[in-house]
Amino acid sequence: MTLFTKEDCSLCGQLKQQFDLSAMNVKVEVLTQDDSDALAHLAWHSLVETARKSLPILVLDDSSTIADYKNIEHHLAARADQHGVSFSITPGGQGCESGSCSF
Amino acid sequence: MGVVMPINAEMEKKGGVVKGDVSGKSEATDLALFVRTSQEDMTGWNRERIVDALLRETYVDRDTAERISIEIEETISTGKVKTVTGPLIREMVNAKLLEYGLEQARRMHTRLGVPLYDVDQMLVHPNKENANVPHGPEATNLTLAEGIKKEYALLHVFSSDVADAHLNGDLHLHDLGFVDRPYCSGQSLEYIKKFGLNLPHALAMAGPAKHPEVLLAHMVKFAAALQSHFAGAIGWDAVNLFFAPYLEELDDKQVKQLAQMMIYEFSQQAVARGGQAIFSDINIYWEVPKHFENVPAIGPGGEYTGKTYGEYEKQAQRFAWALFDTYKEGDASGRPFFFPKPLVHITEKFFETEGHMDFLHHICDVASDKGNTYFVFDRGETAKISECCRLSFKLEASDLEDAKEPWRMRYSALQNITVNLPRLAYKADGDDTKLFSLLTEQLMLAAKGHEQKKKFIEKLMAHGENGPLSLLAMKLDGQTYLRLKKCSYLVGMVGLNELVRVHMGQEVHDSDEAMKFGLKIIAHMNILCNKMSEETGMKFVLEQTPAESTSYRFAKLDYVNYPEQSAKVLQGDFDKGEIYYTNSTLFNVGSLMNPIERVEREGLFHPLIEAGSITHIWLGEAQPDKEALANFVINIFRHTQNDQVAFSPEFTSCLDCGKTARGLSEVCSYCGSEHVDGITRITGYFTKVSSWNKGKLGELHDRYRNEGHFDGQGAVN
Repeated sequence: MTLFTKEDCSLCGQLKQQFDLSAMNVKVEVLTQDDSDALAHLAWHSLVETARKSLPILVLDDSSTIADYKNIEHHLAARADQHGVSFSITPGGQGCESGSCSF
Repeated sequence: MGVVMPINAEMEKKGGVVKGDVSGKSEATDLALFVRTSQEDMTGWNRERIVDALLRETYVDRDTAERISIEIEETISTGKVKTVTGPLIREMVNAKLLEYGLEQARRMHTRLGVPLYDVDQMLVHPNKENANVPHGPEATNLTLAEGIKKEYALLHVFSSDVADAHLNGDLHLHDLGFVDRPYCSGQSLEYIKKFGLNLPHALAMAGPAKHPEVLLAHMVKFAAALQSHFAGAIGWDAVNLFFAPYLEELDDKQVKQLAQMMIYEFSQQAVARGGQAIFSDINIYWEVPKHFENVPAIGPGGEYTGKTYGEYEKQAQRFAWALFDTYKEGDASGRPFFFPKPLVHITEKFFETEGHMDFLHHICDVASDKGNTYFVFDRGETAKISECCRLSFKLEASDLEDAKEPWRMRYSALQNITVNLPRLAYKADGDDTKLFSLLTEQLMLAAKGHEQKKKFIEKLMAHGENGPLSLLAMKLDGQTYLRLKKCSYLVGMVGLNELVRVHMGQEVHDSDEAMKFGLKIIAHMNILCNKMSEETGMKFVLEQTPAESTSYRFAKLDYVNYPEQSAKVLQGDFDKGEIYYTNSTLFNVGSLMNPIERVEREGLFHPLIEAGSITHIWLGEAQPDKEALANFVINIFRHTQNDQVAFSPEFTSCLDCGKTARGLSEVCSYCGSEHVDGITRITGYFTKVSSWNKGKLGELHDRYRNEGHFDGQGAVN
């Protein structure tokens, strides 16, 4: 499972606060203007255009993708349960406060 | 150059060095020597002309100039020739400048020209570099002019490091023979609808067209004028929609007639620049694009009709349908039309528009039968103007604002520079860090080349309407026709497949690992383009290079300079010299691959290549049914990232009986004549196989024809 994020993306930051992603064995891919590996990884999953519209994006183990925040949260919660990792669900999380939730 | 002048009898020679009068005055001689000048006259010797030229054209001081002229005079006086030419004297002076170590002066004093042998070759042999250039007096004029402008560009427009990178094959600077104009362009019919055909320095000015036939005439003439000001394609946006306000009074037969006129006018324009057909594209929409829905429509006489373009959907559809009726028929011999290329935009709104399936079947029928249709996929909110072999200009927020006044929607790529990717892998020798470092270096050099071309075009544009680019400098809508600030700068690539093969030992489509590495290369190029754009304010974007001649040129150069490494990966037939690199990010053309897999996997690269990509499906003799192709196209739109797809059948045209048969054959299947020519898509357009260069012939031989992959049920096997 991979979560595509960006440094100044507030929704991405919110997910990182809510979940201990490394403990859940979720790889976090941070998209930057310097990282061709991350961009190539995004392209490999056919997500470049999706990421230009919104972040974060979650790629599941079966390669299916989720770009809706609440749906991502739901899947991560289920994953946290599977791994016995505690997490918190905060209200909101729908709007991008930083205005930078896209690549 | 050259004036009657006897050689100085008083000139003295000491210690092997000529010591002449360096006062700068002309002196008499008793030598009867004549000079053939470039002003088409024969005149006598005048040493002072050498001095004048050196002082005018270089930074050499007068004493040195005098000394050189005297030495040249001495050399000539010891010969037994009665006549010399201006170019010979100039080359002798250049040799002296070299002797003196004055390299900069030699470069400045260089004469551009073409050897007699080369001119002879050009006049009596067909052009094989660009299949769109026929052979004829105008074509050889174009080739000769291009030769001189190429030399000028490499000596005078670009710095030596950029020019050397081109000459040694690290980079390819496209269309150097057209260095004094931009590369490709996207146009709006609204410009001539609103302002008429009102070109600078024209002998007559026409007001806005009142009739559809006149609008078509204006469009064709304007395209010819634009062809003289751009190196490559002239693309037209939303042609069927912008014609629509002129069609209300026409019955279907008249609309069909207009469609025929448009296609024949463009396809038979091989009488313009250099005998070269205008590389023309027409963008076609079944729906009214969202950004034009509420735009006031311009109709006959350049007047607003009182309606919006959203209200002209049916008229636009009638015209689109008629255009494809004409494409389906082909020309009088049943051959496919080469130009204008029809680019149909497949969008979300397309599928919401009534009649779209019928139209999709119609254009798929043409794609299968004649191959003309290009399917351009604009997913989500994306809108773009497409043209050239695959170039597209994505419309940004400011462009969509311009759409309210559509005549402003004029786009251009100022230049295209392509990177030789396989060579980087040869140099890197398996070292990742070195490979990416070399790639970075080449992109930075490409950016430098772009900046130099930009400065050069700005210099020409600064002369305004009295300058060499007067048409591009005209300001009928208050801004120059060429909107320099909107221009993009293309960075292309050739041979990703071979780079991966050298670096990883497998072709790019052989494994997921190889694909991911290929994606990383293109991602790196994408990121660098974005960075350089931020730094310079210029818009650098990646484009898949059509590489009609570039893939062959790079292959030839690498075979000479990297023989051992290149021999392992070059494609084609070495014995025949038909070698090539795989175009851009395409997969090996010969690999046995299901077409949907090719479309899907090649399409993974497309979002990273923002200025345009395409996947070719070579059909050979196959003629899939329209329903099968339509389903295929829908699947591409819904389930892949692919930007553009074209299906390419092959034909044999008989030059004796004039008939056209399916497939490539050595003899005519109708009359048995061997006097035949093949027709198929070379890169982004159809042309005659007899005009292809050797690299492309090698590729044609290797192409995997997708015969038997499309069944009658609409599925892809």
